Amino acid sequence: MDWSVIYDYRELFIRGVINTILLTAVATVCGTLLGLFICLGKMSSKRYLRWICSIYVELFRGTPMLVQILLIHFAVIPSIWEVFFPGQPNPEAIYSGFVALSLNAAAYIAEIFRAGIQSIDPGQMEAARSLGMSKGLSMRLIVLPQAFTRMLPAIGNEFIALLKDSSLCAVIATQELNYAAMNVAKSTFERYPPYLTEAAVYLVLTLFLSRVVVRGLEKKYSTR
Amino acid sequence: MKIGKKWYTSLALIVGMGLMLSACGSGGQQTTGSGEKVYVIGTDAAYPPFQMLEADKISGHDIDVMNAVAEAGGFKVEWKNTGWDPLFDGLDKGTVDIGISSITITDKRKEKYDFSEPYFEANQLILVAEDSPVQTLADLKGKKIGGQAATTGEEVVKKAFGETYEGWKGYDDMPSSVDDFFNGRVEAVVGDNGVLQYYVKKIENKKFKLIKDDSFEKEFYGIIVKKGNTDAMTKINDGLKKIKENGKLQEIHDKYFGNK
Repeated sequence: MDWSVIYDYRELFIRGVINTILLTAVATVCGTLLGLFICLGKMSSKRYLRWICSIYVELFRGTPMLVQILLIHFAVIPSIWEVFFPGQPNPEAIYSGFVALSLNAAAYIAEIFRAGIQSIDPGQMEAARSLGMSKGLSMRLIVLPQAFTRMLPAIGNEFIALLKDSSLCAVIATQELNYAAMNVAKSTFERYPPYLTEAAVYLVLTLFLSRVVVRGLEKKYSTR
Repeated sequence: MKIGKKWYTSLALIVGMGLMLSACGSGGQQTTGSGEKVYVIGTDAAYPPFQMLEADKISGHDIDVMNAVAEAGGFKVEWKNTGWDPLFDGLDKGTVDIGISSITITDKRKEKYDFSEPYFEANQLILVAEDSPVQTLADLKGKKIGGQAATTGEEVVKKAFGETYEGWKGYDDMPSSVDDFFNGRVEAVVGDNGVLQYYVKKIENKKFKLIKDDSFEKEFYGIIVKKGNTDAMTKINDGLKKIKENGKLQEIHDKYFGNK
C-alpha cells in the first residue's frame, strides 16, 4: 500500500472536492425550488397539473439516478443542442450533472414538502382564510413556515443523500471526488489509499452537513 | 423484547447471504469432468472491434485470437465479460486466469503481471475535427481531451501535460468518449489505432480526421496472467507461436482491419 499516491494526485482530489460541493450545492438549491413548485402542483385544484406533477415524481423517483444521468448526458442534452444550438459544442459534463441531480432531488423534495404541508392541521389554513387572507398568502405566511420546521430533518436526509449520489457523475467523466479516486486507483493500481481517502472525505462532508448545516437550521427554526 | 428474539434470525440470514456471495465469487480454476483444466478468460467487451458484445455473445479480434491460441496450444477456455478494472482484480484474486483485452505491454503492468509475446502492434491516434489545426499531441495543450481512463491513451496525455492535467476526461469506455467528442464536450480523443479506425469505418456522415503523432511510441498488445503463472503462460506462448507461423493471426487481423 502506497499512501503517497494521494499526495501525488492531490490536485485531482482537491478539484474533486470542489466539484462535489458545487454539484451538491447547485442541486440542493435548484432541487428545493423546483421541488416546492412540483409539490404545490401536486396539491393544486387543477387536475392536469396534479397529473403532470405526479407523473414527474414517479418518473424520477422510480428510475435509477445512474440511468437518469446517462440519459440526460448522452441523449437528452445532445438532442436539445442539435435542435436549438446546431453546431455549438454541448455544455460540459458537470452541467449534465447539475441537471440530473436537480431534477432527481426535486422529485424527492416535492414529496417531503407535501408530507410537511399535509401534516399541518387544516384548521390553520381555515383560520387564515377566515381572517381574509388569500389562499396563496395563507400558504406562504401560515402553513409553509410551520411545515418547514417539521420537514427539516427529512430535507437534511435528502441533502446528505444528494451529496453521496453526486458520486455517480463520475460515469460521465465529471471531475468530482469519486472520479478522482477511481482515476487514481486505475492509474496507480493502488486500491485502499484512494478509495479510503475518498470515503473519509465524503464522511467529513456529510458530517459537516448533518452536524453544522442541518442542525443549525433546525435550531434556528425550532418552535420549542 | 421482541427484537431480541429476531436478531439471530437476521444474523443467520446475513451470514447465509455472505456465504452465497462468496461462493459466487470463486469461479476460477475450474476443471472439466475429465480433470482437464479450463482457463477462465476475462475481457472488457466494450472496445470494438477488439472485444465487443454482439447480442449477448462476446466477439471481436481478441476473442478470435485467444480462441485460436487455445486451439493451437491445446487448452480449454471459458469466457467471462468482467469489465476493465475487475479483470485485473480477478487476476489478483484468482477468479480469472487469463486476460485478453487490448492490454498494452507496459513496464508498470509488468511489475504485477506476466505478458505473453505480443499479438498486435498498436499506436495511438488523435481524433479531431476535420478542420482542426492540430497536428501533434503538443498542439492540444490546454484543450479538453477525452479517452478511456487507465489506458495508454491516458498515459500519453498525462506524460505530455502532467499526471493531474485538468483537460483530461477519462471515461469508463471508449464509445462514451467518442460520443462526447461528437457532442463537442471534448476537442480531441486519444486512443488506440484499432478502435479509432473502426469508428472511421462506422461513422461516415460525420466530419473528423485521425492524426498520427510520430512521437508516440509503438505499443504491443499482450495476453496477461498473474505473475508467476508460468504453466498458463507457456501454453499461451506456444499457441501464439503456432498461429503466427501458420498465418492464422494475420488472417484474423485482416478480417477486422483489412490487409493494410
